[in-house]
Amino acid sequence: MTTAMTETRHGGTGGHEAVAARARKVVKAYGAGETRVVALDEVDVDIRRGQFTAIMGPSGSGKSTLMHCLAGLDTVTSGQIHLDDVEITGLKDKKLTQLRRDRIGFIFQAFNLLPTLNALENITLPMDIAGRKPDAQWLNRVVETVGLAGRLKHRPTELSGGQQQRVAVARALAARPQIIFGDEPTGNLDSRAGAEVLGFLRRSVDELGQTIVMVTHDPVAASYADRVIFLADGRIVDEMYGPTADGVLDRMKDFDARGRTS
Amino acid sequence: MSAGTVLKTSRRNFVAHKGRMALSAVAVLLSVAFVCGTLVFTDTMNTTFDKLFGVTSADVTVSAKGAKDAEDNPNRGRPEVLPASAVEQVAKAEGVKSAEGGVVSMSVTVVNAKNENMGSTTGAPTIAGNWSDNELKSMKITSGRPPRGPTEVMVDADTAKKHHLELGDELRTIAITGDVRARISGIAAFTVTNPGAAIVYFDTATAQEKLLGGPGLFTHVNVDAKDGVSDEQLKQNVAKAVGADTYKLQTAKESADANRKDVGSFLDVMKYVMLGFAGIAFLVGIFLIFNTFSMLVAQRTREIGLMRAIGADSGQVLKSVIVEAFLLGLVGSVLGVGAGVGLAVGLMQLMGQMGMHLSTDDLTVAWTTPVVGLVLGIVVTVVSAFIPARRAGKVSPMAALRDAGTPGDRKAGRIRASLGLVLTGIGGAGLFLAAAADKAAAGSLWLCLGVLFTLIGFIVIGPLLAGLVVRMLSGIVLRPFGSVGRLAERNALRNPRRTGATAAALMIGLALVACLSVVGSSMVASATEELDKTVGADYIVQSQTGQPIMPQAEQALRATGNLAHVTAYREVEAKITAPDGSVKDGGISVTDPTYAQDVRRKMIAGEHAAAYGDGAISVGSLYADEHHVKVGDELTVAFTGGRTTPLKVAAITSDEGNLDKGAMYVSTATAERFLPADRMPRPFMLLAKAAEGKADAAYGAVKDALAQYPQYAVQNRADYKQTLKDQVGQLLNMVYGLLGLAIIVAVLGVVNTLALSVVERTREIGLMRAIGLSRRQLRRMIRLESVVIALFGALLGLGLGMGWGATAQQLLALQGLKVLEIPWPTIIGVFAGSAFVGLFAALVPAFRAGRMNVLDAIASE
Repeated sequence: MTTAMTETRHGGTGGHEAVAARARKVVKAYGAGETRVVALDEVDVDIRRGQFTAIMGPSGSGKSTLMHCLAGLDTVTSGQIHLDDVEITGLKDKKLTQLRRDRIGFIFQAFNLLPTLNALENITLPMDIAGRKPDAQWLNRVVETVGLAGRLKHRPTELSGGQQQRVAVARALAARPQIIFGDEPTGNLDSRAGAEVLGFLRRSVDELGQTIVMVTHDPVAASYADRVIFLADGRIVDEMYGPTADGVLDRMKDFDARGRTS
Repeated sequence: MSAGTVLKTSRRNFVAHKGRMALSAVAVLLSVAFVCGTLVFTDTMNTTFDKLFGVTSADVTVSAKGAKDAEDNPNRGRPEVLPASAVEQVAKAEGVKSAEGGVVSMSVTVVNAKNENMGSTTGAPTIAGNWSDNELKSMKITSGRPPRGPTEVMVDADTAKKHHLELGDELRTIAITGDVRARISGIAAFTVTNPGAAIVYFDTATAQEKLLGGPGLFTHVNVDAKDGVSDEQLKQNVAKAVGADTYKLQTAKESADANRKDVGSFLDVMKYVMLGFAGIAFLVGIFLIFNTFSMLVAQRTREIGLMRAIGADSGQVLKSVIVEAFLLGLVGSVLGVGAGVGLAVGLMQLMGQMGMHLSTDDLTVAWTTPVVGLVLGIVVTVVSAFIPARRAGKVSPMAALRDAGTPGDRKAGRIRASLGLVLTGIGGAGLFLAAAADKAAAGSLWLCLGVLFTLIGFIVIGPLLAGLVVRMLSGIVLRPFGSVGRLAERNALRNPRRTGATAAALMIGLALVACLSVVGSSMVASATEELDKTVGADYIVQSQTGQPIMPQAEQALRATGNLAHVTAYREVEAKITAPDGSVKDGGISVTDPTYAQDVRRKMIAGEHAAAYGDGAISVGSLYADEHHVKVGDELTVAFTGGRTTPLKVAAITSDEGNLDKGAMYVSTATAERFLPADRMPRPFMLLAKAAEGKADAAYGAVKDALAQYPQYAVQNRADYKQTLKDQVGQLLNMVYGLLGLAIIVAVLGVVNTLALSVVERTREIGLMRAIGLSRRQLRRMIRLESVVIALFGALLGLGLGMGWGATAQQLLALQGLKVLEIPWPTIIGVFAGSAFVGLFAALVPAFRAGRMNVLDAIASE
């Protein structure tokens, strides 16, 4: 990673590329013929750099599939996905793995950490795998931001659920990825711990200029985002800027009602 | 839950996890196959020999009193004989249909025109005899005709085929009376399977003249009974006619039994050795099965908890796991019995390649074979699965609600540690006592105890050592691999009990390898050292087939130039009475006085050369101590077949070494005075010393002189040492080959552990792949984990084995194994090799892990 690139990424939204990820006419279908199921139906979406984007939708709407495709975890049936300036659709597994390792951070709903490694080792794992030395200053800042300073030598089993998710957030931030994907990162947490983790994500966008995409079904979680994208039946049906929990909830109820009547 | 439900659950579980069971089943299969294969093979050999001996024996065979069961006395180079009158005497007995004199000698070597030995290389004898009607019971002439006159010979079809012999080819039969050159007049094939003896036939007169050294002599009479006369009756009639104690009489059954006993004892040894190795494979298999069931139970904890929660009692859970093990044992054993028969056939084919003929027509599967195989396989499997099954029974209903398995039990760890330490301590003490023992019998007992307890101790303590040793090994071996290496190390350490049990399986095989290689190389080193110290002779001539040195070969050697002297070494049977009245049946070493230069014996009293004085003898220090014999005492020596005489003890040799241990030396001249010439055995070894400065020239000349007698090997000291080394090396290789089975099973265990670990860690693998671990790195991580486990097992095994070997050497030092030699190249080679074993074992699990779909892996639960 060159310094020039790092600056581009964290130099705010004024860079030559304000879009961190871009999807064009993305189709994801399973099966063929009569049993064909379309999970994503010609989705176009731009993820803006330095923004916190939430993807919402009822179960089966394709929100997780969209995230998996954007993150290079899943392949698309057709269409194109660009991550920064790289087209990831059609990349071989090896390149894709490298891309995930060097440019993407992940936070999953559960099972984010390797039980054999302590908190610090888990945080630096992506860099260790890449054979890179973590930037000590940055690492300290991340660790402080997520409030884990005293727990770095603990194994995951010795941490609470909230602490575990904070370690996962720290891991995602530590490698300075271009974009972080969260798959229901607070889905397994009680509301207090969840709020804590969402707060950190918010701050990392505000203070560190991080780009985050999060899949959630929780309107409260979505309210931490800058922008909410609503998905239904594999299509983007709406979006909302500066969302509030109530606003999101209303919109969701709206879809539910429409879903039932149609 | 009814018994039927238990069975149904077990069966469904078994079928559902058939992939995971497969490796354990293979382990059972291999062990059972080895056992059954051994049984079928040895039974088949027995059948073959029974058939052979059954058809070749006459109703009653009359032979000389002194004739051994093997019908021969190779020492003298000729068999015991009967006078021609014996045939007539026997023929007059009541109930005799026919009495035919026969000649058979095993003191021959047959070579072709190129001086190549036509005999078997598998230890089967070369037999020369007269062609008679009795032969037609088991043979038929396939080409040519029976031999007539001194220049014709008939050969058996197998030998002819093996050496591409045709009618008219010349064969030279090296017999006691000289070499017989004859052309092949006919080829006869056995109608039953001949396992490998090379057989030549002459006409009766030639056989008598050339093999026995006189006309009218026979070695035996084949007597056939008239109809209605039983063999037993015929034997009694013959005994009446010739006198009960004049000759040795054997019915067909008795001859066959006697012959079979000879072969049978060899077969028994082979059988028990192979079964021993099968036992080791079983022992290793126990670990594999134990591990499999431990892992299955651990993975199924929630499922079992659910069964408990809905009302299954712990006995039912235990029973369901045991039934599963039973099914595994059943499937593995049934396949194993089948594979065993295949193995036996393969073994027979292999023996066929080496020149030992066995026919699949004789394939014998006794009813006991499958029973033994099934019982062994099932019992071992069920016993191995018992501890995991009991653990399954103890799973609480709460487990259904808990997320992961129960946390490790620290108290159990401490109990295990102390138990392991105590056992290892007891074993160590046993080994120490064995090493310090001054009586071989007591020492061997301590050695056995020491080996047993250190082994069990290491197995018990293994999981605890895993933490220490794996960390140490990883520090050295995995360091270059960075974070992937560290992940591999953590994974290997994650479940020490599993790592310990997996490594223990490998440990057992490698401990035996290390132990035997230490003993083997110590043997070679000790013998070499002794040879260097004591042997002064430049060349040693010895038979490779147990044949004595024939006179013509001895003459050829003595006629060679550039030799300072040639010493003949004979062994004579005698009864020796010490002054204290004790009688010893034993051999006396009869040599020429030059032997004192050929072998420098360490003396306790007197000079070695003095033993070769007229009427003198020397004794070994063990005998001297036991019977308080001093120089100057007289021993009464009764030469078997000769006279009894007092001999004066002129020297006492030290029995410290192994060479000629306990030998009593008498000069050839002295022995000749008390033994008639025809009772004097042929030498079994000749020693020669080159004239001063002529060693090289003489060596070539000696080799040339004996080139036409391929049954003898001419060796200088370097050759001799090499042969010794080769022999020990061959023996070790065979043992390693057999231990290979145990190691294969151990490797299956590593594969199994890794495969199940990969399944267990699916989500982790998914996570790591998601955050950027490449396929290659993932595969490498699994391979490294495997390598570390294998190296851990190898380290324990080799360490343990070297300890055993060193102790055994200390103990055997009493028997002359004075030098301890650790074969470092072998040890290091095995250690490095086990890293490859680890890599190999990880191939499939790593491949499968690499193929996992990232999303499926993350989503799996």
